[in-house]
Amino acid sequence: MKKSTKQSSAKAREQADASQLGSSEGMLQMLVEQLKEYAIILLDKDGRVLTWNAAAERLKGWKAQEIIGQHFSRFYPPEDNEKGKTEMELKQALEKGRFEDEGWRMRKDGTRFWANVIITTLRDEQGNLRGFGKITRDLSDRRQAEDKIKRQAQEILEMATVPVVQVWEGIVLVPIIGTLDSQRTQQLMERLLQRVTETSSPVALLDITGVPAVDSQTAQHLIETVSAVRLLGADVIITGIRPPIAQTLVHLGIDLNNVTTRSSLTAGLRMALSMVDKNVVVKA
Amino acid sequence: MNPDNISVIKVRDLLMVTMPPDPDDPTISALQEKVLNSMEKYEAKGVVLDISAVETLDSFFARTVSETAQMVTLMGGRTIISGMQPAVAVAATEIGLTLGNVETALNVDRALDMVNKPKPGTSHD
Amino acid sequence: MTETLQGEMAIKTEGDIVLVRRTTREVSSQTGFGITDVTRIVTASSEMARNIFKYAGEGVMRWQRIQRGDRVGVEFQFEDHGPGIADVQLAMQEGYTTGEGLGMGLPGAKRLVDELEVKSVVGKGTTITLRKWLKNLK
Repeated sequence: MKKSTKQSSAKAREQADASQLGSSEGMLQMLVEQLKEYAIILLDKDGRVLTWNAAAERLKGWKAQEIIGQHFSRFYPPEDNEKGKTEMELKQALEKGRFEDEGWRMRKDGTRFWANVIITTLRDEQGNLRGFGKITRDLSDRRQAEDKIKRQAQEILEMATVPVVQVWEGIVLVPIIGTLDSQRTQQLMERLLQRVTETSSPVALLDITGVPAVDSQTAQHLIETVSAVRLLGADVIITGIRPPIAQTLVHLGIDLNNVTTRSSLTAGLRMALSMVDKNVVVKA
Repeated sequence: MNPDNISVIKVRDLLMVTMPPDPDDPTISALQEKVLNSMEKYEAKGVVLDISAVETLDSFFARTVSETAQMVTLMGGRTIISGMQPAVAVAATEIGLTLGNVETALNVDRALDMVNKPKPGTSHD
Repeated sequence: MTETLQGEMAIKTEGDIVLVRRTTREVSSQTGFGITDVTRIVTASSEMARNIFKYAGEGVMRWQRIQRGDRVGVEFQFEDHGPGIADVQLAMQEGYTTGEGLGMGLPGAKRLVDELEVKSVVGKGTTITLRKWLKNLK
């Protein structure tokens, strides 16, 4: 890897200093170079990159000669730069001696990674500000693990809010509790269709006893769900149509004539049983 | 993809067609020809179109199937689509794709049962 | 990470519509979308490619991984130098099928994705951009 003359003279200077101070500086430099997980760099007083290490190149994508001299706002996403985040971070580091943060950083190619960042102020013996040290650690793995847990938790939550239960061979039941907005309808459709296919159930009972109110939107969502189930080759019985809901549906002019409906879950179950299992005799 | 990929098989007095996962346009067009010719040749009661492997159902596919079903009806038969994948059903419903004269079944077994228990006039919208 | 973050492909023949489906499926899955969302994206893309082939004869599809804030998503752009759409407003309204599935059109595609942009100049061409975002985790 060719180094620019600017960097090789800077390095030569550093090495010269190191040999003067003794081998500990040189060893420290070796340590910085060898640490793979920590991007350790130096910034000047104004936040421009002075030094670079191998981990920094690996993590952020920039080669040393490309980035030295540039301002460290290059590593931040545009929306952070608009807010002046880098100025704020340096200011905090100056006031408190150090600044620590977890957030999104940006690589040379524009992709982002979740990072833990520490910025420390570096002063000489007289107390003059020489620059800043910046240590960046890639937390992508940890964040990915966290995201995975969140996703699983969300799935469990979804299962709880849209439970699809197989109540008989060939019959699945979805007791819908609460309002049915667009997002929930999507969840409902996906889970219901999945279960119907998995269990090869020709009948799905949608019980809306727990749905407080049915407006045109909700009715539309229900009709859509029924259409989707029918494409699979199964059918739907909507149960739980209490008097107030029946009134609302008629007053709104919503036509559910295409869909079998019953007032109680029991009545729906009775009908479903007759559809799937001729051997079961249900006493009225 | 070779349109000869699709075979139309006679099962009892029905035609069975199994669609591949991502049929191209020529394959879908060939389907119509093959089905109608076989309907005539075998005097079949209908067609069972197994789409359990199909991953995308776009407008061309839907239109061709719908047209074919109409033609099959004119020839005195029924058309049953079996095994639609859940994700496909969701997308199809959301864009309002309709299959016209086509009946649906959860799987091929049930489709075959359906034809032997005549239930006229139950085509889904 | 060996995932491709962007790309481009020509739409010249009927056979390319299948390639569009394959590509959009792969890119969407790699981005992290579940099977249902992948199917939505692929279906919408198939229609856009089909439109290009039908009205313009040929065109290009470009795709890229996109980010806005901490949201990650995918963008597919369909560009052609065809006749263009005279009345975009009208095109976005008509074609919502209640009868036979006769051609899905733009309103249908709009339902399947999060963002749909249409830029069209009569006589010059059309560019349609589809975007879908991964659901934010709470």
